[in-house]
Amino acid sequence: MAISFEQIEQNLKTEARKLLESGKVSLVLAYGRGYDENHPMPYVAKHPSDVDNIVFNEYCTANLARYLTRYPRRTKIAIAAKAADSRAVVQLIQEDKVCREDLVVLGIPVYGMKNFKTGEAIDSKTTGGLSNPVLYDILLGEEVHGQPVSSPYDVLAAYEAMDKEERWAFWQRELGRCIRCYACRKACPMCYCDPCFIDQNKPKWGEKSPESPGNLMYHLTRFHHLAGRCIDCGECSRACPVDIPLYLFHKKVAKDCEEMFGQAAGMSIGDKPVLVNFRVDDSDKILE
Amino acid sequence: MSRIGVFVCHCGLNIAKTVRVSELAEFAATLPDVVVAKDYKFMCSTPGQEMIAHDIKAHRLDRVIVTACSPLMHEQTFRKVLAASGLNQYLLTIVNIREQVSWVTHDIDEGTAKAKALLNGAVRRARLLAPLTSRVIDVNSDVLVVGGGIAGIQAALELANTGKKVYLVEKNSTIGGHMAQFDKTFPTLDCSACILTPKMDSVLQHKNITLLTSCEVSEVKGFVGNFDITIRQKARYVDHTRCNACLACTEKCPGKAVSEWDEGLVKRKAIYIPFPQAVPQKPVIDRDACTFFKKGKCRLCEKVCEQKAIDFEQQDTFTTVKVGAVIVATGYDLMDTRALIQYGYGKYPGVYNALEVERLFNSAGPTGGKVTLRDGKEPQAIAILHCIGSRDKNNYEHCSRVCCMYSLKFAHLFKEKTSADVYQFYIDMRAAGKGYEEFYNRIIEEDVKFIRGKGARVAQSADEPDRLVVEAEDTITGKFIRLPVDMVVLSPAIIPRGDAKDIARLFNLSTDRYGFFMERHPKLAPLSTMSEGVFIAGVCQSPKDIPDTVAQANGAAAEALTIVVKDKMELEATTAMVNPASCCACQNCVRVCPYGAPFFNEAKGVSEINEALCKGCGLCASVCPPSAIIARHFTNDQVLAEMEGLLEF
Ligand SMILES: Cc1cc2nc3c(=O)[nH]c(=O)nc-3n(C[C@H](O)[C@H](O)[C@H](O)COP(=O)(O)OP(=O)(O)OC[C@H]3O[C@@H](n4cnc5c(N)ncnc54)[C@H](O)[C@@H]3O)c2cc1C
Ligand code: SF4
Ligand code: SF4
Ligand code: SF4
Repeated sequence: MAISFEQIEQNLKTEARKLLESGKVSLVLAYGRGYDENHPMPYVAKHPSDVDNIVFNEYCTANLARYLTRYPRRTKIAIAAKAADSRAVVQLIQEDKVCREDLVVLGIPVYGMKNFKTGEAIDSKTTGGLSNPVLYDILLGEEVHGQPVSSPYDVLAAYEAMDKEERWAFWQRELGRCIRCYACRKACPMCYCDPCFIDQNKPKWGEKSPESPGNLMYHLTRFHHLAGRCIDCGECSRACPVDIPLYLFHKKVAKDCEEMFGQAAGMSIGDKPVLVNFRVDDSDKILE
Repeated sequence: MSRIGVFVCHCGLNIAKTVRVSELAEFAATLPDVVVAKDYKFMCSTPGQEMIAHDIKAHRLDRVIVTACSPLMHEQTFRKVLAASGLNQYLLTIVNIREQVSWVTHDIDEGTAKAKALLNGAVRRARLLAPLTSRVIDVNSDVLVVGGGIAGIQAALELANTGKKVYLVEKNSTIGGHMAQFDKTFPTLDCSACILTPKMDSVLQHKNITLLTSCEVSEVKGFVGNFDITIRQKARYVDHTRCNACLACTEKCPGKAVSEWDEGLVKRKAIYIPFPQAVPQKPVIDRDACTFFKKGKCRLCEKVCEQKAIDFEQQDTFTTVKVGAVIVATGYDLMDTRALIQYGYGKYPGVYNALEVERLFNSAGPTGGKVTLRDGKEPQAIAILHCIGSRDKNNYEHCSRVCCMYSLKFAHLFKEKTSADVYQFYIDMRAAGKGYEEFYNRIIEEDVKFIRGKGARVAQSADEPDRLVVEAEDTITGKFIRLPVDMVVLSPAIIPRGDAKDIARLFNLSTDRYGFFMERHPKLAPLSTMSEGVFIAGVCQSPKDIPDTVAQANGAAAEALTIVVKDKMELEATTAMVNPASCCACQNCVRVCPYGAPFFNEAKGVSEINEALCKGCGLCASVCPPSAIIARHFTNDQVLAEMEGLLEF
């Protein structure tokens, strides 16, 4: 069964209009047209008349959960959410950054989304191997079934084949290329700290110029801050202008976390954020 | 610019043996802002303290660094020196060069180098230290005792007799603990009930003791002087305010379950008291065994109860009490020896564990005090196997301490009550308590046979299928022996309660590698724990006999009293605070704090810390992504400066 992007766009518009007209929400986080068809942008519809500007196509990869934390608590928001995006919503609810009752989640079941820079399909690399949202109020299409389910960790094979030294060299090389534009943290739905630790001056955790030690400090700490929280949308890596495969590190940590604590990020509202939740039977492997 | 004095202690040879102390002092003198550096034999002695006090004045010091033993030992000592000299006590830094340096190396070069690195870090941190003001808080004068065995009973009575109010929480329906299961107690062989039941009764009668049976602690909040303890009263389905203990109900009840008190040797009713002298002597309904709860029909007890005390609707209830100190006395379990299949416990009816045998001896036990096997016959030959699971690298390495003695007690009682031959299989005999060696000699005289060798296996006898054979190596003769017997008694390892980990978590206790609660210091603070205001007594700390348990209970009561006797106390100033400008409201701090100090202020959209609850552990600061939390005395700047100093080496 092929995905009908037109149908999803149509449904998205219909639901957005209904929600705005009824006053149930004060804004709808969706996608709008960018400078061409292949570059849609996040778009916030605030009035029923804005709804006509909404689009949805295979390039709408941005994770709109990023914008949830930009509005004051208690703002009523509807959000268009694909599988990974919905996990971000769940994770933010777990972290009590947003309240479930303030949200209307417009779930988008979809596969075959494409990277707008390369045109390459992103399913196998990111999106956690899921096609259907894990949380939604209204589903904007039919649930996807029968797609070959790939493990979210399959793409790690080549990375895991490297030994410790090779991995260290790999990251020194890759992170050494970072130009410190911070697009990764801007795109990330979980990077909501303001100020980010790396922007602080007292104490100064790392150099701010795009050079190796500071780059490592920024990224390794950011990876660490996202451990057990990264929901594998892949936005950081797509946002990166120099194509650093940040998702590899995140995935590796997510895999370790899942193996050690039996919990993947953002899968269930009832879960507690795994690294700040203590259970007597927690694995001690992390200490070894 | 600060003016730092560094005082290097030799601790006799404890430190001086593996750290070149005078070289360390000379090195200290070269560090920034250090204006005086000295070494001395015993810094904690009176002349040592006077030297520091003198130098504070003479050199107008505003920071003092003592490189010596662990701050757990003498931080308070040296803080007092600073305070008496007019310096804020938080301007003291202790560098631990004993436990962390001299005691962990034999190499004096290595020791000296590490001491220098630690000191270099400490000087850098000391320069950034700020004076802090301790907090003074009100102290609640009541005490909570958890566990109503002999330890808990004794502690509760001692405290209550000083006029303090005590809450005694016991999870069973009666107090008494293991001691109430015994018939006689070694080494004096006095009757257990005769010495215990009067104490149990005093607990019930004491106006200062609130006895809470069928209760468990479900939540602990607060801190020394001000604990808020939530207690879950489990539904008993009998209203104890109405019940007059006539026990008519227990006679009529058709429900049956194995008696925990009699170690499963017999059955009891679904509505029951565990044993005749139980305190309180009022019954409870075991929901899982009750015919009404199982089948929806019965209610016989309700019909016979004239007091109308039966209440099938009863629910668990929760109450919160406020106390200033806590004594944990939750006792022990015996290891489940079914896991050691070579001894056949659970497989051969002739194999017993020690507590079952205690019940056989007891005149209120399942056999009325007669020693008979499960088939009703009297045993002709009995083997008592010591150290089952204890002193065993594959199971528990520790010695359970009382087994040698109670095994001797068993031998005596077997001799008294049967005509059987009694054999002891032991590794070596440990009889180190008062009157114990004498007791041992007395039992030797009683024609008990001692075989020095650990029982290796218990098997069914090939010739006489209803008898057992104990296999062992007699290490005196070097011979392998196979001894036919009718009864085998295992002395299993004494181990922590199954829920000890939960109790540890509730009260923030540490546990040793077996799960026994850890004392603050094995010699100098054996009843205190790392959780201030929480004390331990009895076997929950380590295996011991009743005299030691009672001594600990009295000690713990005295320790608790030192807290609740005052109406105010000083708390450490080293708490954490949130810088609201940096807080991103992730609430990590709220989630990780073991003391429930941080909370989310929804109106301001940031987290805040209730300083009264904060213990200054620093966990929150370490999980705060935008480093919005300032842990006083361990601020990021201070810690980073110390790290830089360390890493310079
Ligand atoms: C077979 C055997 C024979 C022995 N014979 C002798 C002897 O002859 N002489 C001698 O000196 N010593 C003897 N001992 C040692 C003696 O049993 C102990 O020294 C003593 O019972 C320890 O008392 P306690 O209060 O620490 O623990 P316990 O007797 O175990 O009491 C602990 C109490 O705490 C309660 N409790 C547990 N967990 C909780 C919880 N979470 N909340 C609330 N309450 C809880 C329990 O129900 C129990 O009532 C013997 C030991 C054994 C195993
Ligand atoms: S987006 Fe890429 S270049 Fe920019 S900060 Fe992140 S990793 Fe560095
Ligand atoms: S951990 Fe830090 S950022 Fe997060 S809520 Fe607490 S103070 Fe704020
Ligand atoms: S330092 Fe932080 S985590 Fe530790 S007790 Fe204080 S508030 Fe709680």
